[in-house]
Amino acid sequence: MGKIIAATGNTSAALGAALSGVQVVSAYPITPQSSVVEYLAKMIADGALPARMVQVESEHSAMSVVQGAVAAGARAFTATSAQGLALMYEPYFRMSTLRLPMVMAIAGREMTSPEGVWGGQQDSISVRDAGWIQYYAENNQEILDTVIQGYKVAENNDVLLPVNVCYDGFFLSHLYERIELPEQSEVDAFIPKYNPVHYAFDPAKPMALDPMTPGDILMEYRESHLQAMQNALGIIEQTDKEFEKAFGRSYGGLVEEYRCEDADIILVTMGSMTGTAREAIDAKREEGIKAGLLKIRVMRPFPVEKVRNVLSERKAFAVVDRNVCFGWNTGALYMEVKAALGGLGKRISSIPVIGGLGGADITQEHFMQCIDLLEEAGKSQVEHKTVWLKKEGIV
Amino acid sequence: MNYIDKLLQSEDLVSPGISACQGCGAELILRTALKIMGKDTAVVIPPGCMAGAGAVGWNFDNGLKVPVHISLLDNTAAFMTGVKTMYELSGKDTKVVGIAGDGATSDCGFQSLSGAAERGEDLIYICYDNEGYMNTGFQRSGTTSKGSSTSTTPVGKVIKGKEQNKKDLPMIMADHDIAYTATLSPAYMQDFVRKLEKAVSMKGGFRYLHIYSPCPTGWGTAPECSIDIARKAVQTNFFPLYEVENHKYTINIEIKNPQPVSELIKQMGKFRHLAEEDIQEMQKMVDKKYNKLKALAAMSQDN
Repeated sequence: MGKIIAATGNTSAALGAALSGVQVVSAYPITPQSSVVEYLAKMIADGALPARMVQVESEHSAMSVVQGAVAAGARAFTATSAQGLALMYEPYFRMSTLRLPMVMAIAGREMTSPEGVWGGQQDSISVRDAGWIQYYAENNQEILDTVIQGYKVAENNDVLLPVNVCYDGFFLSHLYERIELPEQSEVDAFIPKYNPVHYAFDPAKPMALDPMTPGDILMEYRESHLQAMQNALGIIEQTDKEFEKAFGRSYGGLVEEYRCEDADIILVTMGSMTGTAREAIDAKREEGIKAGLLKIRVMRPFPVEKVRNVLSERKAFAVVDRNVCFGWNTGALYMEVKAALGGLGKRISSIPVIGGLGGADITQEHFMQCIDLLEEAGKSQVEHKTVWLKKEGIV
Repeated sequence: MNYIDKLLQSEDLVSPGISACQGCGAELILRTALKIMGKDTAVVIPPGCMAGAGAVGWNFDNGLKVPVHISLLDNTAAFMTGVKTMYELSGKDTKVVGIAGDGATSDCGFQSLSGAAERGEDLIYICYDNEGYMNTGFQRSGTTSKGSSTSTTPVGKVIKGKEQNKKDLPMIMADHDIAYTATLSPAYMQDFVRKLEKAVSMKGGFRYLHIYSPCPTGWGTAPECSIDIARKAVQTNFFPLYEVENHKYTINIEIKNPQPVSELIKQMGKFRHLAEEDIQEMQKMVDKKYNKLKALAAMSQDN
C-alpha cells in the first residue's frame, strides 16, 4: 500500500491521471474543475510528471487537442464542468464515435440558467447519450481509483471508448478526504503502457481517419459502438475485481448494494449523496425498517440486469436524482431505472425524487422522509408523484 | 533545383481520381502544397471544398497518399496541435499541415487557430481563400469581399450583396507574432513554391500561409481564366504578395503600374451588379490597404 494523504476530489482526479501515466493533458479553466488541471500543471512544471500540457483557449479546443493526441497514439486526459462540457460537445461526441479511448473528469455543475457555479449532475447527465462510458463516484478515493480503472476499461480492445469519471462539484471537488495513494509501480502493473491497436494517424500507415461514410457503413459503426458498450458491462465488473485484487478496494463494479439482502424498500442513488443515504438506511434499520440502498456507479452503459436483480422483488423503491429530465416530470436516473424494470411484468411502487440541484443540500433527514414515503407506498402498487427535496423537507 | 523541376519531380500525393470543379484554385493549391511538403506529412482538412472533393477519403479509401483527417469545421488547429504534440513525444519529425478554406479559418475556426498561433505551435496552416463557403453553394463568410453576391447576401431590391468588408486574415495572423506569415497566389508559382519551402524549412513555430484561390463555380468566372484572375488580383493590388517574419513586412511582388481593380472584377459574375460608385469605393479600399502594407514594409526596412 502507498502512503496516506488528504486530498480534494479534484486533486484525487489529477493524481489518478498522473498515476495512470498520461502523456498529453489539455484543458481550459472552469469552476469547479480548475484545480484538477492546476495540480497537473504544477506536477508537469516540477518535472514530477513527464507529460505535455497544452493550455488552450477553450474547452472545444481542449477536447480537440486530446482527440488529435489520442489519434496519434497518446494516453490523454482532460477535465471540465457544465458550460465547458456544453462548449466541447462537438468534439466530445466525436471522441466516442471515433472510438478513441481516454479519461475525462467531470466535476459536476448545474447548467446555466439560472446562473450559478455550484454542484449538480445536469451537465454530464445531459450528454449521457453521446457514446461515452460514464462513472459517478461517491467519494474521493473512488474518484482516484476510478480514473485508473477507467483507462483500463477504455483501452480494452473490446471496448475502445472514452470514459467520464463524474463527481459532484464542490461536494467532492473541493472536499478534503483521506486517500490511500497507490504506488506508481502498482499502477504501472495494473495498466501497462498504452499500446494502441487503433493508432490511426501514423505516417507509416497513411490512412484517412474518418473519411466520408455513407449510411449503410455508418450503421455498422453504430452497431459496433453499441456492442462495445455492452462489452463494457462485463469489462467494468472484471476491472473492478482485478482492482480489488491489486489494491484491496472494490466499488461493486457497475452498482453497489448496501443492506439490500432482506430489504423491502430501496433507495437508489448516484454520486456523493450515497454516503448520506447510507446513514439514513442505518438509522431506519435501527427502527426495524427493512430499507436498503442501491448505488448506481455506472450510468453508461446502463446496468440493466443488475438493476433488475436488485429491484424486481421489492415492495417499493425511490430514485433520487441530482438532475432533471425536462421531457418527463422526473430525474433522468428514475426514467432509466423504470425502463430497466419495464417488461418484467411487475408493478413495484416507485417514487421519483429530485434534489440537490445547483449546490442545494441533500440531507439525511430528506432520505429518512423518503424512506417513510416508501413504507407507505409499499403497501399498495403506486407510481408516486415527483418529490422535491427542499430546505423545509420533502414536498 | 528550380521550382519547375521541383514540381515536375515531386510525387503528386493526391489519390488518383480526386478532382474538384473545373478551374478550381484550391485543388491546384492542395496538389502543389503537398508536393512541396513531401511524404512525411500528416494533413488535417476541415469540411469544405477539398473535403467535399474527396481529399479526406470516401468509404474505406484515402483521398491522399499521406494520413489525412477531416477535422471539425472549427477545430483544425487544435486537432493538429494534439497530433503534433504526440509526434514530438514519440520522436517523430512528421510535419502536421492544415489545409482549410477561408470560412473554416476566419469564422468558426478562428478561435482554435488564434489559440494555436498564440502558443506558437510547430504547425503549418494553409488557408485557401475562395472568399466564402463555396462547397455548400457560396454562402457569405467573414472573408467574402464587400459587394459580393452570395446565396446568403443576394442582390435584392434594397440590399445589394455583402455589405461588409473582408476580414484581413494574414494581417491578423501576422499580429499574433507567429514565426511566418505569407500570402501566396497560384499565378506566381515561383514565389508560391519558395514560400512553401520556406515554411517547411523553418524549425518550429506557427507558419500561416494565406493563398488566393479562384472559384469559377461560386464567383461566376470562366474556368480557364482562374490563373488569369489570380494574376490580376495581384496586379491590381487587390491581393498583394508579401511575407512577415519577426515584424518585418516584405512585399515580394511589387507591381510597378497597378491596374485598376475594375480590370479584376469585370470578369466576375459575383460583382456584375456593382455600380460605378461601388467600384470606386472598392478601389479606394484596395489603395488604402496597399498603402498600409507599403508603410509597414517601409517601417520594417528602418528597423
